[in-house]
Amino acid sequence: MKKKGLIFLILFSGFILSLLLSLFFGLEEPFRGDSALILSMIRIPAVLKAIVAGSCLALSGMMLQTISKNPLADPYLTGLSSGAGLGIVLSILLFNGINYSIFGFLGALISACLVISLSGFSKFSITKLILIGLSLNLFASSVISFLILLNPDKAYSMTLILTGGFSSADISNKTLCLLFVILLFICALFIPKLNILRLDSRLVFQNEQGANKFNILFVILSAFLTSLAVYSAGILGFAGIICPLLVRLLLGSDARILFFGNILAGSTLLLIANFISNNLIYPMQIPLGVVVAIIGAPFFVFFLVKKGGAILK
Amino acid sequence: MIKIEELNFKYNDEIIFENADVEIPSGKITVILGPNGVGKTTLLKIITKSLKAQATKGFSFQNDFKKMFYLPQNASCPTGVSTFDYLSTVFFKNGWKWFLNESEKELVNKALYEVELFDKKDLNVENLSAGELQKANMALGLLSGADLFLLDEAVSNMDLINEIKIFNMLNKLLYKEDGGVTSVLIMHDINTAANFGEYFIGIKKGKKGKIVQARKDEFFTKENLKEIYGIDFEITNLNGKIYVQAVG
Repeated sequence: MKKKGLIFLILFSGFILSLLLSLFFGLEEPFRGDSALILSMIRIPAVLKAIVAGSCLALSGMMLQTISKNPLADPYLTGLSSGAGLGIVLSILLFNGINYSIFGFLGALISACLVISLSGFSKFSITKLILIGLSLNLFASSVISFLILLNPDKAYSMTLILTGGFSSADISNKTLCLLFVILLFICALFIPKLNILRLDSRLVFQNEQGANKFNILFVILSAFLTSLAVYSAGILGFAGIICPLLVRLLLGSDARILFFGNILAGSTLLLIANFISNNLIYPMQIPLGVVVAIIGAPFFVFFLVKKGGAILK
Repeated sequence: MIKIEELNFKYNDEIIFENADVEIPSGKITVILGPNGVGKTTLLKIITKSLKAQATKGFSFQNDFKKMFYLPQNASCPTGVSTFDYLSTVFFKNGWKWFLNESEKELVNKALYEVELFDKKDLNVENLSAGELQKANMALGLLSGADLFLLDEAVSNMDLINEIKIFNMLNKLLYKEDGGVTSVLIMHDINTAANFGEYFIGIKKGKKGKIVQARKDEFFTKENLKEIYGIDFEITNLNGKIYVQAVG
């Protein structure tokens, strides 16, 4: 228990540090010397979006990994992100910006249902799940690329969705926060139920067909989370797979603890990635997805090699 | 007691049971014996209703047990969770709670005590031995309120000592004060089965749907075992203890 408290403290201080770093340091040139303007126009929205996208991706990954009992499941590999991305791109094309998130959600939900029903709901086959998710992922990304080619006038906002970046959505901070808080609240209601799914699915407690019902519920929740993440930061791979795995390595498999761990780890990862992407080769912006993979991969592989046996057996 | 009459079941075109009658008495340890692939697991799955028997005219399924619990061999377990937390999982099924209340904690402690794991309650489940993990899983069954345990080769991978410990525990659970727990086990080790089982169900090889069932003293005859396994056996009865040896 002591160890878990310490890890929490480290995660939390990491989060606070990266938050302060992204708020108060940076190389952006001041608008007429007004640094308050930078804060409110550039940094605060970016920080908000990083926190939202990071927590949503991490939580969604954690749910998908628990229900599929497969460490490879994440919003990107299962095609949820690309599905949501396709939904959002379509809504940019058809409706000129309104109802972004409804379409994103529909896209994510449809891809979630497709992937999970095609790979067999209760008896997940790992290979099938990954292959179907991968195909869906490629399919949706290719359709997005195709749509970008056809519509050069709206290409910029659509490209940002495809490669990941915080400027894609011109949503007000208030709306984003509101959506995020509502989603977190719903998640917090259901999170203890996720613990049931850590039991072997072959155990049968007769007179209770509970597990399947919760499966569907968590798929829908993770589709919601993914669509909000894609909406605020575009399609980002990797964050949704490494955060839940890393947090599980550090904190065990109690969903109630993992919930907070994932929010902290996901936000920290994206805050740091955002800071690097803005400031490393200023004034150029490195695509966010690139930075996430570059800092995430070595870190993750290190942990996996050092103590990964526990979750991969 | 469970009483199934005229059970018919087939996988695609392969007939597994044909007009079979099965009985599972309450308050006894029942052992299901038979070679691989004759339908032992299928029978348990029909009992838990995970598989549906053919609805024929004479088919009847009578069940006096309140709740069943099915435990497979080598059930997987989560990592980084203490045994106590692992067992408390059952209580998250209902309601919206984030934490267990005192009476639920008390129930978990009681179940841990009943399966003799109380001193390991703070140990992580992945650090339990195979025998202890199956005991923890049985405690899950106890917590869910089951009064019938269906153990599908749940003791098959264990060493002798752990196997005996589990049987002693199952024997104790039969006479639990707040309602005994009946167990049904699928087993391959005939001698251990003969030592601990009281009622036996043998599923015959090659003759689909034929079931031999009897109490211990009537079940262990050369004819019965030859019919079930298709080879000859030598049976020794020493003061009620039965020893079985296969002959070529």
